[in-house]
Order: sequence, then structure tokens, then C-alpha cells
Amino acid sequence: MFDRVALGIVGTAIVTFLLGWTTLFDRTSPDTAVAGLSLFALFGVAFLLAGAGLIAAGIASNVGLFKTTADQYTGLGTGVAFGVVGFATGGLVTTILFGVGATGSALAGLVVALIVTLGIAVLPEDIGTTLPVGLLALVWGVLLAAGFVDVGWVWDPPSLAATFHAPIVVPLVTIALSLLVAWSGAIVAEGFGSQGRQNGAYLMIGLNAFGMIAVLLLLILFVVRKGLPTLLEGAQFGPGLSISVPFLTKGVMLGQQYNGIFPAIVGTVWLVVGAVVLAIPMGIGAAVFLTEYAEQGRFTAVIETATNALWSTPSIVYGLFGYAFLVPRFGNRNSLLAGMMVLGFMLLPLVVITSREAIKSVPDEYRDASAALGVNQWQTIRSVVLPAAMPGVVTGVILGVGRIAGETAPILLVTSGAPFPARAPSILGSFRFTATPPFVQNEALLQASSALPYQLYAVITAGVGQEEAFGWGTALVLLLVVLGFYAIGIASRIYFRRKLHQ
Amino acid sequence: MSDQTVTRTNDEQQSNSLTDQQPTSHTVDAETDEQLVDSWTDYEFEGEAAITVEDLDVYYGDDHAIDSISMEIPEQSVTALIGPSGCGKSTYLRCLNRMNDRIDSARVDGTVEIDGENIYEGDTDLVELRKKVGMVFQSPNPFPKSIRENVSYGPRKHGDVNVGLLGKLLGGDDSEAERRLVERSLKQAALWDEVSDRLEDNALGLSGGQQQRLCIARCLAVDPDVILMDEPASALDPVATAKIEDLIEQLAEEYTVVVVTHNMQQAARISDQTAVFLTGGQLVEYDDTDKIFENPESDRVEDYVTGKFG
Amino acid sequence: MSTTELHQQVRERFGVETIDDRVVALGAAGALCLLVSAITFLIGSPFTALPFAGFLFTVAYGLYEYQAATAKALSFLATIGTGTILALITFYLLVEALPAIRLMGAEMFTSTSEPMWRTRGEEMYSLVPMMWGTLVTTVLAMLIAGPLGVAGALFISEIAPDAVREVVKPAVETLAGIPSIVYGFIGFTILNDYMMESLELPTSGSLVIVGLVVGLMSLPTVVSVAEDAIASVPESMKSGSLALGTTDWQTIKSITIPASFSGVSAAVLLGVGRAIGETMAATVILGHAQRLPDPLYDVFGNTETLTSLIASQYGVASGTHMSALFAAGVVLFVSVTVLSIGSQYIERRMKHQLQGES
Repeated sequence: MFDRVALGIVGTAIVTFLLGWTTLFDRTSPDTAVAGLSLFALFGVAFLLAGAGLIAAGIASNVGLFKTTADQYTGLGTGVAFGVVGFATGGLVTTILFGVGATGSALAGLVVALIVTLGIAVLPEDIGTTLPVGLLALVWGVLLAAGFVDVGWVWDPPSLAATFHAPIVVPLVTIALSLLVAWSGAIVAEGFGSQGRQNGAYLMIGLNAFGMIAVLLLLILFVVRKGLPTLLEGAQFGPGLSISVPFLTKGVMLGQQYNGIFPAIVGTVWLVVGAVVLAIPMGIGAAVFLTEYAEQGRFTAVIETATNALWSTPSIVYGLFGYAFLVPRFGNRNSLLAGMMVLGFMLLPLVVITSREAIKSVPDEYRDASAALGVNQWQTIRSVVLPAAMPGVVTGVILGVGRIAGETAPILLVTSGAPFPARAPSILGSFRFTATPPFVQNEALLQASSALPYQLYAVITAGVGQEEAFGWGTALVLLLVVLGFYAIGIASRIYFRRKLHQ
Repeated sequence: MSDQTVTRTNDEQQSNSLTDQQPTSHTVDAETDEQLVDSWTDYEFEGEAAITVEDLDVYYGDDHAIDSISMEIPEQSVTALIGPSGCGKSTYLRCLNRMNDRIDSARVDGTVEIDGENIYEGDTDLVELRKKVGMVFQSPNPFPKSIRENVSYGPRKHGDVNVGLLGKLLGGDDSEAERRLVERSLKQAALWDEVSDRLEDNALGLSGGQQQRLCIARCLAVDPDVILMDEPASALDPVATAKIEDLIEQLAEEYTVVVVTHNMQQAARISDQTAVFLTGGQLVEYDDTDKIFENPESDRVEDYVTGKFG
Repeated sequence: MSTTELHQQVRERFGVETIDDRVVALGAAGALCLLVSAITFLIGSPFTALPFAGFLFTVAYGLYEYQAATAKALSFLATIGTGTILALITFYLLVEALPAIRLMGAEMFTSTSEPMWRTRGEEMYSLVPMMWGTLVTTVLAMLIAGPLGVAGALFISEIAPDAVREVVKPAVETLAGIPSIVYGFIGFTILNDYMMESLELPTSGSLVIVGLVVGLMSLPTVVSVAEDAIASVPESMKSGSLALGTTDWQTIKSITIPASFSGVSAAVLLGVGRAIGETMAATVILGHAQRLPDPLYDVFGNTETLTSLIASQYGVASGTHMSALFAAGVVLFVSVTVLSIGSQYIERRMKHQLQGES
């Protein structure tokens, strides 16, 4: 009986929680009616039932109708948590009802918070964890069920630019309250005490993890759904192996049936290749020196701090640096080469950090064994340390490449040119040797280029209209490229770790 | 706890018809092991059994880690579990307070009765079980907190000691009770004299031996009936080891102590009875410690305790 | 310094057993070439290729003839190069920012009188609205990513069964890779319209959307770094607590979280750094108004962040205006570097704490 009530409360709360989200994103219309009750009225009834159930369960446990393991006091932790809820509720209610300003409502909120915190902390646990939630649920239930807050309800705070309508506010409050009710119900279900608190906390953490993964996956699915039609526009598969996807193989030209992002793909590929060529030898070299040659001391500490600082430096700052340092030296215009170097600088700290980790994790026994055979240090590094560290290094590099392939800000400042180019840069075909300095020339390297993330940015700045579909297609390709790198990197890391532990 | 004196029975197979109110066999057959001696030892002791294990099997995935063990552990005594590494003695110990639940792939069959209740029955409260059956680990694992907080950690979490702001507000502050509890536990663990003037220091600053005695004090503060020790001295130097051994012998006056050790001299020094585990998670012989070390029934046990193998 | 002393030093530094004047000469030649090419590159001379080719030739010859010494020298150069890049970034940002800072003085970071940003006529560059915008979006983002991220990390590390963990952990790490421009695109096309419609916002874009999007974006990063910290709490410590009869949740609260607190806060600080430096989402979502919202806490208002200021104005800026953008870059760079050093300090403390003195 007791358990069933508790489970019913948790179940109801989870249903209202999910419905709250679907209503917020217009998947469930607020005008939906079941058995003559509007959606909001249904929410109200659900909260009335859940609230009454919680209060009943709390009192039943307190007077000893059911044997529970409730503690003597609710405790300050729960009290403070409710204090925060009290602060929000108190502040909002005073603002909505009496129209007081920010300071006034903050003060009112603080007073409410203090009273609630102390009041709940000293209550017996079975009352303290159910009664406040139950009361909130009852109040919200009455407001909704009796129609005090219906679809037409509006709140227009004078100090904020926004106006709040019921279709947004009701789902938001419902979601928040559902969480509270579910938490309280979960505590009741385990009969309070340390087990009950664990149950409540785990339910919240589990819901959070579930929600986080769900939101992120939905995001990806959304991009796929929006972008796939564009990506496959005019695509032909077969017969045999002949596949043509114009979106991936064409540029943007007038009078062309299907426009595509081929130049941007080539641009991104060259940027990544250039960055990798620059960053990997340098990064691994630095990692080898710091780990194998240098004595651990002030010098290595400084370099380590510098590497970490480089790693956290915002990409736009790299962009500014490239703009001030590289662009003037490459003919004063945006160029692919400058983009390669800037992205290489961004990649460098990651390569150093992951390579150091990988080299450090090579057991000293390997080095000793090699040295004991009379092999000198460099040969030991080359033939023992580096091969053993390679998996870690490769994984780190792949993850880093994924990161820079999606980077937009630096490209914006040092590489970007025409937003929708017709042709891809041809690096290999433009090497020229000249008799005058600088002797080797490559026009394509010194010219502006597009890249996938930049192309997406260009769609946005061009003003989304008919271009929007093009943007979604670009976003999908970019996402596939970057997440592909990540997936390969992470999978290889798992693979190598398993191999190591066998 | 079942209130009977255990008598010896001598049968080859465990009798599944035995209930906890009846005498139980103490040794286990392992038909698979051809080398195993065919003579059976049975063990009789004075007093009551604190723990009664019947037909206990543990599997890690496909690996059969404990092979059908039955034994009774007498209360207020020191029982040593010895055997070569990988023989399953630690796994067996961890079955007695269900610490094996931490390992997802572990599966336990059989019954372990403590206070007449099978701890592997569906609704066993792990919290209550572990309050009753404390554990001390191989390497000292004090919490990164002060010495006092380490000792009072358990009682605080169980709500037996209320300290802090709320306690002060309601006038129910148990600081004095906590202080007494900490002092008593530390004295029981023979650590009080060394740390009484620095109770607020971080426990990680203590020496290894002191840390291990702190862990014992921490365990005593919860007031258990049984204390499980998993090679409690293996990470310590000889002086610290001697202190821990003395302490174990003292503790046996009040508590039931089960000690896993790979050190046979240690088992001979401190234990009242000894169980020998050999390969494959089998209990080969279980008897008075003197008997095991002077005149064991099994040849393999004799080889093991005399150092010919293992 | 005599030649023998020099040889001695080279021998010690580079661990070469057989050493002669040719190694020293080669090293000197390589260093000289590199130095010259660095100088020519800095002054923008077209002759840079010559000394650089010389350097490459020296390296190639060195690798062929004296591999060990050359490898060590090269790895040393790479290390110096890494440090040099940070120095160059710092130097160029400061030099470029100087004209604007000279023009405005300290007012650049304090002035709150209108207009705060005027690029024509009497120039006026106050970074206060952008600093406020960055602060507000960062706080909003961290209110989301902090608690949810730590809870997610707890779930993965302590609560989820092995089978779930093996799926969820790599999934979250992969999701950390979604490029910010994709988030920006979704925010721009979907959220902006939604908010304008449902909340009757007067303008497209607002701080609260940026905060939300950036928070969601930094969530996977915070989760995976915090998870690393939580997972590094030794199992023996947790077992010790559980064996005393506490519940898993009590152990998490009283042992695991306090023991990994520094690591978890380092994770959150890393997330803060990411949120501060996040450019594209803010740039495409915000409406770019360089003034403070009124009232200050109106998160539905439109203002600017430091990053979006740079990204949206670099194309039309020149002279002092451009220099003012560099000043914004300096503010970003300094705050993020301070955060980075702070989190490194915290992390070192955690290692120290967990190892104790035993």
C-alpha cells in the first residue's frame, strides 16, 4: 500500500515531467483535452493527487501507521535545498502579486528562504521531505485545476524585455515541480532514512543523465533530419558502384542544377593537413624532450604551464594573433597558409599534452631494459619508447584534429574569402619555382579559401532564407566529419586500453 | 544466533538437508582435484558459531572462484584463513559482509548465516549487515579527513551521533558523546596514546601502522560483532605488524575476528583455528591452529605449511 | 671558452659519445640558419626561404650523420618553439592593443557612460558592456553545465552499471566534439525565433539563449573531465566507507566528492574557460548592441560578448577600432590564462592530497 502510493506518485511525476517538455517544445498542444479537461487542468489534477499522496504518506509514517526508517530531523542539507526553492518562489510571487522591484523581491525571497530552510531542517524527516513538496504541488494543482492559471495567462515584468505566457511558464513550472515530487516520492518509496535519500538522489541523477544524453542525441538527429534532404539532393546511387552526390562534389555556380560544398570540404581537408604537418612533429618533439631529456624542474614546469595556457586560449585569440602576426607576412591578405599555421598552433598544445601522457605511461622497465643492453638514449626512445607510446599519441591527435576541423573563429580572421566559392583550391597544382625570392611560390596556398564551418557561418550572415536548407546540409557534413574523427579517436583509445589490460 | 554446541559429523558430501539448527559438516569435498586427500577433518569447538557458511560458491563470470565451501566460525576467537595467492581466501572473506556486491560480474550461491539470518536472502539490509560485520583492508585506507572524523565517520553516518549546527540549534549536540566514542575506540585500537594530542590532524599524516590501527578504531566505533581482516599487516613493517598482531589477540576477547593472511607464522601466532585454502577456491582443511601446523590430515596441507609448496 | 670545454658541454648536453668539431660546427650552422630565418620572417623579408632551406639541409645532414645529437637538439627546439608561440601571442596582442588602451586609459575597462562604443567621429571604446555580457553568459552557462555536469559525471563514474557506462561514457566524449558553429546555427535558426515568438522579445537574440546554448555545449566537457577526477578516487577509500555500513550515496557525498573536489572544480573551471572563449554561438545568436542591458540583470536583453565583438567587427575595423578589438582579446586571454593556471594549481593540490604522506 505504502509502496504503491509512493510508486504511483513517482510515476505521475515522471509523466508530467515528460509532458512538460513536449508541451514546452510544442509537441503537445496546450489545447489538448482529455475527458473534458484541458491539458493544464489535467496537470493540475495530477499535482493535486500527487501532493495529497505525499502529505498523507508523510503523516502516516510520522504517526506510525507504517514502519519507516525516517531520521529524527530532516537536516540542513535538504533544508538549504528547499531554501533555494523558497527563494525563487518567494521572489517571483511577490513580484507577480505586488509588482515590487528587483531589490524588494530579492529581499522577500531571502526572508522566505531563511524561514523555509530552518523550518524544514528541524522537522522530522518523514514530514520535512514530503510536506513542503506536497504543499507546493497542491497549490500548483489548485491554480491549474481551478483555472486561475490557464492558457491565456500572461505576465509582463516591467524590468525584463520578455513577456511570459502560460504556454511557456506552465510547462517550466510543471517540469521543476515534477522533479521535486519525483524526488520526494522516491524517498517515500524506500521508507525515508539513508536508503530513502539514496533513492531520491539516484532518481534525480539518473533523470539528469538520461535528459542530457537525450537532448544531445536529439540535437544530432535534428541536424540529420534537416540536413539529409539537402545532402542527398540530386544524388544518384547505382547502377553498380557509380555514386554521385552533387552536394559533396560541386561548388556554387550560377546556372547549375545542384549547388554543393566541394570547395569548402577541400579547404577543410587542406587546413587540417597543414595543421597536422606543423603540429605533430613539433608537438611530439617537445613531448619527448620534456619527458625523456629534460630534468624535471623549473624549465619543464614553465613549459608545462605555457602548454596548458595555450590549450585554454580561446580560438578567437588565436585568430587575432594570426591576423596581426601571419597575415601581414603572407601578402597582407587572408590565406590558406595562415589558416594552417593558426590551426597548427591550436593543435600543438593538445599534441604535447597527450603525447606527454602517453610517453609517461610507458613503464620505466622498458627504458631500463633497453639501457641495460647498452643501447643509447636516442635509440631507446626511437625503438622502445615511441612505439609503445604511439597508440596514445595517435588517439590524442585524432581528437585534436576533430576539434580544429570544426573551428570557425580563427578561419574567419585569417583564411576566409568568398563565402560560396565555385572552385576548390588546387594546392598540388600551383607550385611554381622562380628565379627571384622567395624562389618557391604556391598561389593557392596564399589565397583565401572556404572551409566547412566558415561556410555555415556564411549561410547565417547571408541571412537565412532560401539558404537555410543549404546550411543544414553543410551542418550535417561538418557534424559527420568532426564526430567521425571523435568516434575513431575514442574507439581506438578504448581498443588500445583493452589491449594493454589483457 | 543458534544456541547449540556443534558436534562433528563425518560425511563425504555436504548434506543439503541440514538446517542451521543442526550440526553441520565443516570440510568440503572437491571431487575434481585428484590430489586432494580423502581423509576428512571435522572441526569441533566450544561455544557458539558466529557465522555459519553452507555450500558457498562464487563465480566471476565463468571463473569458479569459491568452490562449495561450508564452515562454522566460532565467536570471540581468531580464525585465520591461509593459502597461496589466488586461492580465493580474500574472495571468501568478502562474501561475509557482501563486499563482493561491488563487483558486477560476481555471482554468489549458498548461504551465509549471521545471527541466524541468511545474509544472501533477498531483503537483507546491507547497511545493518556491515554495521554488524566490520572490515579492515589489506593496505590502510583512512579517509582524507582528521583522525577524529575518521573514527566518528560511521556513527555519524548512521545518525547515532548528531553534531554540527543543527544539533546545537536543537540542543541535541552530541559532541561530548562523540569525544568519548573516539577516545574509547582509539584506546581499544591501542592508538590513543600516540594521537591523543593531535586528533584534528589529517589521518594521511600518520605512519602506515598507525593508519591501519586507525582503520581498526574506525571499524570498532560502529560496534560490530565480527571483524574481517584482509591481510591487515601485509603492507607494514615488522614493528607495526607486531603491534597489529597483539591488537588482534586482544580484540578476540570481545569480537569474532576472521583474518586472511599469507604469512603462516602469523597465522600460527595469532589464531585459534585455521582454515587452509588451496587452489581452485577449495577449503582443504579446517581445524585448531596447532593441529593444522603440527599434524594436518592432508598431505598437501602438510606440504604447504612446511613450505614445500605454495 | 676553450674547445675542449665546449666539447665537454656539448657532450653533457646532448649525450654524444664521440664528438668532434664537426658536430659543433653543424649545430652552430643550424642554429644560425634558424635564427636568420626567424629574423627575416619577422621583418617580412621575401628571403626567408633561403636561411630556412639552409636549416632544413643542416637538419637532414645531421640526422644522417649524428642522429642522436640532432634528435635531441630538434626536440629541444620544438620545446622552445612551443613556449615561443605563447610569448608571441602575448606580445602581438599587447602591441596591437596598445593604441586603444593609450587612447582610452583605464576608462576602457571602467567607463559606463553612454555611448560606450563609437567608432566614428569622437571615438569611444569601453569594453564594459562586453565584459558584462561575457560574465552573464558564462554564469548562465555554468549554472547549467556545473551542477548537471557534475551529476552526469557521478552517474557515469559511480552509479551506472558497467554495461551502461561503457556506452554512455564514449557517447558523452563524442558529443563534446559537436562544433560550436553547429550549436550556433541551431540557436540562430530555431531558438531565436522560438524565443521571439513565445516571449515577445523585441529583438532577435538574447543573453539567455547564448547562456543556454553555451551551457549545453560545455556540458560534455565538464562531464568527462569531472568523471576523470571522480574515477581517480581510490576504490579502497570507497570500500572503507561502505564496509562501515554506509549507503553508496552517503559514500559519494562524504568520501568521493570531498576527495575529488579539487579535480571536479578544475573541471568546472575548464568549462568556465571554454564558456568565456566561446565565440561562434554568441556571434551568430546575439544582436550585437554594444551597450549594457537595462536593468543590468535583464538576461533577455541584447548586448555583446568580448568574443562576438571581435568576430562581428574585425571585418569593418581599422586603426584604433581594430586596436580596441585586440584589447578585448587581451581581456579574454588574461582571464582564461588566469583560470587555466588556477585549475592547474588546484589539480596539483588534489594529487598531493590523495597521495597524502603514506
